[in-house]
Amino acid sequence: MNCEEAINLMDGYMDGELDPITNQEIERHLRDCRACEQAYAAQRALVRTIAGGAVPYYKAPAELRQRIQSSLRDGIADRPARTAVARDSQVLFRRRWPELRTILLGTPWNWLGLAGLGLAAAIIFAAIIFSNLAPMVRRPAADQFLATQLIASHVRSLMANHLTDVASSDQHTVKPWLDAKLDFAPAVVDLGSEGFPLLGGRLDYLDNRTVAALVYQRRKHFINVFTWPAESGTTGTTKTMTRQGYQLLHWVDSDINYWAVSDVSEADLQAFKKVFEDRTARH
Amino acid sequence: MGAPLKADYAFDTEDFEPRAKIVKFAILKKHQEQDAAQAHELASFEETMLPHMDAAHNLARWLLRNEQDAQDVVQEAYLRAFKSFSGFHGSNGRAWLLTIVRNTSYTLLKKNHAVDLTTTFDEEIHTSGQESVSPATVLEHSENAELIKEAMDELPAEFREILVLRHLEGLSYKEIADIAQLAPGTVMSRLARARAKLKEYLAARIGKDNR
Repeated sequence: MNCEEAINLMDGYMDGELDPITNQEIERHLRDCRACEQAYAAQRALVRTIAGGAVPYYKAPAELRQRIQSSLRDGIADRPARTAVARDSQVLFRRRWPELRTILLGTPWNWLGLAGLGLAAAIIFAAIIFSNLAPMVRRPAADQFLATQLIASHVRSLMANHLTDVASSDQHTVKPWLDAKLDFAPAVVDLGSEGFPLLGGRLDYLDNRTVAALVYQRRKHFINVFTWPAESGTTGTTKTMTRQGYQLLHWVDSDINYWAVSDVSEADLQAFKKVFEDRTARH
Repeated sequence: MGAPLKADYAFDTEDFEPRAKIVKFAILKKHQEQDAAQAHELASFEETMLPHMDAAHNLARWLLRNEQDAQDVVQEAYLRAFKSFSGFHGSNGRAWLLTIVRNTSYTLLKKNHAVDLTTTFDEEIHTSGQESVSPATVLEHSENAELIKEAMDELPAEFREILVLRHLEGLSYKEIADIAQLAPGTVMSRLARARAKLKEYLAARIGKDNR
């Protein structure tokens, strides 16, 4: 192999994308040719700097993550409403317009009919507008309301010296206690080895039902995890929210709702979710 | 008119009200099934694609060199990806998403008449530019992160893109070929040219002679 060939293949060699035989040939050439060896060393050093974190890796900011998740949800929420309106208005125009024209060009005694038609059209339009707007107004409200409840519960648990009903880092103490008082069996795991020690459990009341609240600690911060049974078929849903400086993270696993609420960073909360899921999956 | 009105209400409250309350409206059942299917599709989309948002944002940010544009592109790419998600059957969600991010970024770059878009015309002619900068010069400044970042930002889009995909995402030649829509054989030569150009720009910034 000569220098030109070696130089041309150097990038593939460095990236480990060449076949073993060519690799060996280049290695042999680099051992024998000082100029090529130097060129290779320089290029490698440069690439190491780039790959080693010297140039910025622009992570997605948290607000972009939230914006995208809510725009995906809006995309779904808008779909049925939009098609309903489109269908109705098409019918409206196809059927009404010819009629309107005959009325306008027709005899004067039809003016009463026209007024009636106008009134009917107004009612139909009002109905369309209302049916279109209602979900937009109400859907976020339900979400927001639950978020408000969750944060209120979280804050109350911290201020009223009532963080736990059963204080124990032993999951085998907390779980039976909760099981006895609820109509479902929440998953309870101590995550002390992962940096989220379990402090205990508590009963709470949310979304019109009694729920279990598991309390975890992250350094000096507390994480309340509210759990209750979900509707079937919603497994896999996840949602993040930031409100009043609190992070909310929602997921559904094995038909159980989880809402983690805390003042830790979103990354910490995501890390918590991950270890929590890993450990509950094993149980 | 009454029926769609109720349907919208049912859809609206579906998340937070016991299902039993609603099911009695037989007419609404079809809507609910559609909703459930959509919710399921969204959940599986999010599970597959949301973990790659950092990669998506990083690529868009390097391509557009502007935070606001990058965010807009990533958001649009996600919406596009969701629309065509039913057509995605592969296992490499990251490569699939990055392809969409790349295309969306280029659409915006073209719209903004970015002048650095293409250098493809000399793809085959200038394969060897490596010798133009002395290895000693490169080695001497190979740890100057600020300098390297500035030089990388100056490169044409297709060079920035291939360096980001290779060195920041650690993708294979095959994946890069898929994302950047290149023939598999040309990935190495384009990477070589990108690195050579980077060294050239580095040398120019240092103010030393290229030869």
